[in-house]
Amino acid sequence: MWPQVGRRGPSREAQKAPALWRLLFHVLSPRPADDAAALPTPEAQARLVKSALRSQGYPRRALVQLPEDGSQGSRELLLALSWLLARGPLLERLLAQIRVRLGDEMPVCECEVLASPGPPAPRVEADGCVDIRHLQWLMGKLRFGWRNLITSQQEHCALLGKVHSYTRGCHSDRSLGHLSVTEAELLRDPEGGRQLLRRLESENARLEAALEWRRRELVFWQWMDTVLDACPPEASQPTFLPRIPERGAGELELVARELQALQEELQAVVETRRAAWEARVGGWGPGWKATQRASEEAVRQELTALQRAWERGGGLAQPHGPHRLVRSEAGTLGGPGLRATEVIKALRSREACLEAALRQLQGQCRQELARLVGALPGFIWILPPGC
Amino acid sequence: MLPAGCSRRLLAELRDALDACAERQRQLERSLRVSRRLLRVWEPAETPALEPTPGPDTNEEARPPARTPSPQELKELELLTQALEKAVRVRKGLSKAGGRDEAPSRKSRSIVSPATTASVPPRASGQAGRRASETKPPRGVRQTTVPAKGLPELRLLSVGDQTCKARGAQAAKPEPGLRDQEMAPSAAPQAPEAFTLKQKGLWAQLSSTETGDSMDATTTAKTQFLRKMQSGWPSSRLCAAEVEAEVGRLRKACSLLRQRMGEELTADPVDWMQEYHCLLTLEGLQAIAGQCLHRLQELRAAVMEHQLAPWPEGRLPSAPSSCGGGADSIWSPQLLLYSSTQELQTLASLRLRVAMLDEQIHLEKVLMAELLPLVSTQEPLGPPWLALCRAVHSLLCEGAFRLARRAGRDCRAGLAERGAGGSLRGTEALPAVQGGEGLRTRRGHPPGRGSACFVPLPNSSIFPAGLESPRGIIGAQ
Repeated sequence: MWPQVGRRGPSREAQKAPALWRLLFHVLSPRPADDAAALPTPEAQARLVKSALRSQGYPRRALVQLPEDGSQGSRELLLALSWLLARGPLLERLLAQIRVRLGDEMPVCECEVLASPGPPAPRVEADGCVDIRHLQWLMGKLRFGWRNLITSQQEHCALLGKVHSYTRGCHSDRSLGHLSVTEAELLRDPEGGRQLLRRLESENARLEAALEWRRRELVFWQWMDTVLDACPPEASQPTFLPRIPERGAGELELVARELQALQEELQAVVETRRAAWEARVGGWGPGWKATQRASEEAVRQELTALQRAWERGGGLAQPHGPHRLVRSEAGTLGGPGLRATEVIKALRSREACLEAALRQLQGQCRQELARLVGALPGFIWILPPGC
Repeated sequence: MLPAGCSRRLLAELRDALDACAERQRQLERSLRVSRRLLRVWEPAETPALEPTPGPDTNEEARPPARTPSPQELKELELLTQALEKAVRVRKGLSKAGGRDEAPSRKSRSIVSPATTASVPPRASGQAGRRASETKPPRGVRQTTVPAKGLPELRLLSVGDQTCKARGAQAAKPEPGLRDQEMAPSAAPQAPEAFTLKQKGLWAQLSSTETGDSMDATTTAKTQFLRKMQSGWPSSRLCAAEVEAEVGRLRKACSLLRQRMGEELTADPVDWMQEYHCLLTLEGLQAIAGQCLHRLQELRAAVMEHQLAPWPEGRLPSAPSSCGGGADSIWSPQLLLYSSTQELQTLASLRLRVAMLDEQIHLEKVLMAELLPLVSTQEPLGPPWLALCRAVHSLLCEGAFRLARRAGRDCRAGLAERGAGGSLRGTEALPAVQGGEGLRTRRGHPPGRGSACFVPLPNSSIFPAGLESPRGIIGAQ
């Protein structure tokens, strides 16, 4: 259910509250999977909307007090929607999300994965204690699942490769050169083709509506200003903020611990090296100062560049998002596009780094366990071979 | 048994991971179904290999009466080859389309099968070209030469004409028996071309409106509106989403810093200049780490302060990050060029590997944080504690799960598989300490003892009687 945001336009009547609740729900939650049955009830949707807005820092308390049955509050909901629209490129993001993709796409980053998948249905968790063997079982199941995933992925790539190579020369766009699975399906199956056509049609309609919205946007904001002015002023409120969910707090602790460990390691290394350096350099003359300053400047620049990689907005230097797969013999297509070899190289280095990190963690655990157990008299710790 | 809070948290983590994995698998299965179906059309001879799940697919096949099932297609292949050869002979004569040749020429377009001779596909496209040329003034397609590679290349008509291209796309489609549905698809492939062209124009317009002069007025109106909204709210920074985002950034910072530190430590300085550079870098890294830590402590303090919140709890997943790939990409999709199937497979499996490692590391940290304290606090040295230690070891220290596909891996892969075998054993009812013979890994290494074991000395008074009898302890398998 795609909320036709663009189509609504600067309508002057007050919208009905339930529609606005639904709209906000779909805007705020990531695109749900194709199963419409997973949608929560309208009351639950309203609650989730409130919680999400709160966690994003929505500044008006009136929203909290709205009844969840949709009987009133359309003005407040409209304000909430405008707030979301004003804060970021909401429209573009939504359009890009539900865009009809004609090609075989593969994401080159893992950003999307970090957002938790699936419907936000709270799981009924047994509050009882579990045996650790159950955890082992779950872990094994997870590993098995990953193994299956990799095999399926290999098969998928093989099939894609075949489709791409068989349809070489069929595409009207010469820079692409071959059909994707979607396009080949389109040709094979007329019914599917008609469906695709309909989706393209509706996407074009959406784009036109978005352009229309753009044209009238200024009027909308001026109008919202008046709406805001017409609201009764909010009483000054105590500064309470939403509780960071338990998982978030745990994450914070983990990162804090890691950073602490990193800093201590660095400190140890730096101290020894600096001492050694000072001992060597002690007798050097003033000519040394110039080169010293040059080095400092170079290092400062490097580290600033490094910092930009995680600063806000700095991640765009790396490739992001889904890319359309295009098969081309090495060297023929010199046009724009990411080369698979580069991505592979980057992934390999990242993999090596992660493997090292995992090994190190496991080694740490091993040492810790050995220490804990080894302190006991009368026990011998026999490790499996190779550990 | 683990304490309740610990159980709950760990269960939640593992279940999340399992759900994520299952979701990926579902999406992959969906794409696989489509691709398999497509290729079955083109490679009927290879159907058994491509079709492990006949169940859900047969429903989809039953739909159009014009589609022929694969055994029949196999029989038709023989006819097809003969028909094509005949058509080639006819075509060589460059005759105008005879009615007699319509039927075989249609059939000839039906299946492009690389399983048969390499000459078949170019002929097919030649037929297609001829067919299209019947309906329009003849355009330059003469496919008399077999492509050197022998791959089924379906060449298009000449580049110049737009509509001709569309027709060409139609002509090149290799689907079986759509005889009675000929006319319907003729419009279909044309229209998407037109639509995508129109779409490109619309996307371009949309992105151009973002940077117009009128946008400035709109932007100021927006900021003014936001300011007004914010007026009753003193601290605008610390909402939960912001904190979460910042913690994520700091986590990334930590891993990048660590990576850089590793690079510096392993680098071998050639001269004193490089050595000094290295030293300065490390000092710089230390300073940055300190800054990040400080920031994190600020965040933590802020979080602690505002723990009270009469707010409904809901687990609406955080809005997806700004991973749109940048403004330009919204209207022209970025391309990823690959040159061989092997490369594509490597790319995909590496992606999955990295994601898997990420998750494994995360789980490792969570498990460490929860389980290690348990081991240290539970001092009684009874059998439960031994079992706990054993289980903790198998969860935390083993199972460097590896993809055993790469050539030239040394026995480490097999070794790691043993670890995986150890934990895979956990998928059976109990991680029985005996009976490790069930699972053979891909390399044929017998799964080793997946668990650590304890050997209490005979004269120890802590020798556990009863439950953990020597067979459990020794763990020789």
